[in-house]
Amino acid sequence: MTHDRILVVGAGPAGLEAARGAADLGKDVLLVEATDQLGGTPYAHYATLTPYLKDTHEAMGPMVEGVQTHPRIDVRLKTRLVASQGEAGQFVVTLQDDRGNQAQEAVGAVVIATGFRHFDPGRETQLYGYYEFDDVITLVDAEHMMQQGKIVRPSTGLPPERVAFIQCVGSRDRQIGNQWCSKVCCGIASKQSIEIKRMVPEAKVFIFYIDMRMYGFWEDQLYWKAQEEYKVNYVRGIVTEILKKGDKLLMKGEDTTMGRPVELLMDLIILSVGMEPSQGTLDMAQQFHVPRESHGFMATVGEPLDTVTTPVAGVFVAGAAAGPKDIEDSVSMGGAAAVKAVTFLNRLSQQLA
Amino acid sequence: MAQKATPIELEVAVVNGVELNGHWNRIFEPRAISEYDLSVLEEVTAIPGAQSLGFCYQCGKCTSVCPVEEAGGDYSPRKVFRRTQMGISLFESADLWLCTTCSDCLRVCPKEVNMIDIMPAVREKAVMDGNAPQELLTAFENTARYGNPLGEPARKRAGWVKRAQVPVPIMSAHKAPVDVLWFVECYPAYHPRGQDASIALARILNALGIDFGILGIEEKCSGDSQRMAGESGLFEMLAEDNVKTLSKYTFQTLMVTDPHAFNAFRHEYPKYGGDWPTYHYTQFLAARIEAMTMTREIVRRVTFHDPCYLGRHNGEYEAPRALLQAIPGLELIEMGRCRENAYCCGGGGGGMWMDSFTSERLTMRLSERRVKEAVEYGAEILAVTCPYEVSRFEDAVKSTGNAGRLKVCDIAELLGHAMGLVTADI
Repeated sequence: MTHDRILVVGAGPAGLEAARGAADLGKDVLLVEATDQLGGTPYAHYATLTPYLKDTHEAMGPMVEGVQTHPRIDVRLKTRLVASQGEAGQFVVTLQDDRGNQAQEAVGAVVIATGFRHFDPGRETQLYGYYEFDDVITLVDAEHMMQQGKIVRPSTGLPPERVAFIQCVGSRDRQIGNQWCSKVCCGIASKQSIEIKRMVPEAKVFIFYIDMRMYGFWEDQLYWKAQEEYKVNYVRGIVTEILKKGDKLLMKGEDTTMGRPVELLMDLIILSVGMEPSQGTLDMAQQFHVPRESHGFMATVGEPLDTVTTPVAGVFVAGAAAGPKDIEDSVSMGGAAAVKAVTFLNRLSQQLA
Repeated sequence: MAQKATPIELEVAVVNGVELNGHWNRIFEPRAISEYDLSVLEEVTAIPGAQSLGFCYQCGKCTSVCPVEEAGGDYSPRKVFRRTQMGISLFESADLWLCTTCSDCLRVCPKEVNMIDIMPAVREKAVMDGNAPQELLTAFENTARYGNPLGEPARKRAGWVKRAQVPVPIMSAHKAPVDVLWFVECYPAYHPRGQDASIALARILNALGIDFGILGIEEKCSGDSQRMAGESGLFEMLAEDNVKTLSKYTFQTLMVTDPHAFNAFRHEYPKYGGDWPTYHYTQFLAARIEAMTMTREIVRRVTFHDPCYLGRHNGEYEAPRALLQAIPGLELIEMGRCRENAYCCGGGGGGMWMDSFTSERLTMRLSERRVKEAVEYGAEILAVTCPYEVSRFEDAVKSTGNAGRLKVCDIAELLGHAMGLVTADI
């Protein structure tokens, strides 16, 4: 018999929307989340959401609460999926909580929404000294500071006079093995540059880029706004390396529209780190035997027309587990995955009946 | 503070008393950019009207249409923005004076970086600080003193009228309302070749039985190019004077010879209380083609140079062409850069008065570039309808070695010739 219940793994924007959608369509949902709260990476790490600069907890609050209080959603926090058996309609998964207690659950369909991880700038060939220099930080580190309502040089605790963003760190790089654009970093750097100018109006802020990739409305909502209203300086050309010079950072690269090398002193350098498949995404691909596409994210069939169906019957994917996504895409995929999973279960029940 | 960015390739650098030419200088100037001194960009974009310079996102669309770049200027709004962002003072840079305000960059700019607003605003500050080319300051002084940039005596402004040998009523003596007040402007009043066109136009108006008059010595330069070149105070003074004079007389419509004056009357003079139905003379005549009896053929291949301030600035492309096509025997051909994308003669935005300054910085004059294009397209006559152009292009015909191959005529001269009223040098 078919288990008329849907498992959603991961409670970020994609997982939350998948869970809420499937539950609203009348299915029982088991929502499994490894951390101790709902909301995923944005909720845990980002001070504000792109592109409207709204406080993340405020913006996502209703979404989180809607899932928490939904009578059809069984939320399991601090819980991981450690084993999976069976097939479409009759999966039996083993869950393990943070104390090591295991439980088996039967579900008919699965939505994997295990997201991404931020590229670790110390890991590969980038010479940016992330683990060496206090004042070289990532977009995520900057968000953590902004959660506390400030932006400072970690070395001094004082507001920076000169800030540079370096785009495409860990993205678009064959040597690293990440041959993709992470889609959101240009927008997030622009968003943060606006926030920095709001917090430290006299700061000089630069964004060094290869191409500015502002999808859709982010063009004028973020890029033009940062440049025109907040006087953020966009300079084409990527920084090659960062050296320490006195208590400043010396960044070296090329200004490609001027055709000249650049050697600039900065107080704070923010690395725009991209997305990679998270450990959870890699684990779930293995558990459910979902192949990974050429970049290492979870594979889907039928793209571009079907973004959520994996090659494994009854297993769907939503959000950044399937590749770099912004929150809009993740939520849209969550809704699509809910519909596909519910429909899949309904058809399976009819066939068996 | 880090070292300030400077232009790196000087024409001549002196090192320990030894003069060094050309590219060797980069050895002695910092090659790497070690600072973006943003104070200059901040100062420029804080000037009302100049804010949009900071909007540039470096797409480079302006560069391929910029007439200055095409004349070898290493110049375009994109480059002006980058240099300013690097801390090179626009107020002290030659970049500030090369723009002819032709507006072709604005036509193609996705970010609406508006050089038509930026240039006069930034130039105004440079003029006040005494940083303008001397030639330009001389033209300003002439305009302030004599009411025309040529430095001709104000009392000779109607001197050409005698040569017209037809009635050209001067309003102060006419003592009666007229249908059409003809605002002649400086070059048509003073420059010998401008006068040729004025004489032709006066005869055409007489032949058509138009009830018209001119201001004569009461007229002053409209001042539009002085405004674009950074002298808004002078412009204001001229506008107030002209509006005051015109307001004394009764007329139905204002007809202007000069597209720059046309621009001023349409967009600026209303701010000073001078709001009349205004037509460029080609528009005025194009509505009267039926009444024009053309008895002489002009069997020539003719191409038309759209004036920036009639075309791009004010959207009139058809009237001049309609007039040319009405001339029997005339074959109108178009150059590659025509209408919305027309090349600039180099005279606008004060370029008319900075010939030495600009030609030292370009590989050729814009007028020379344009004349070469007309010749390439097989034109025998380059028809113009902006008073800056006849003299500019005739000089360019000579300097490019095309004397005898290409003639330059104002449309009024060609019409007058076809109507048997004047004999144009075709």
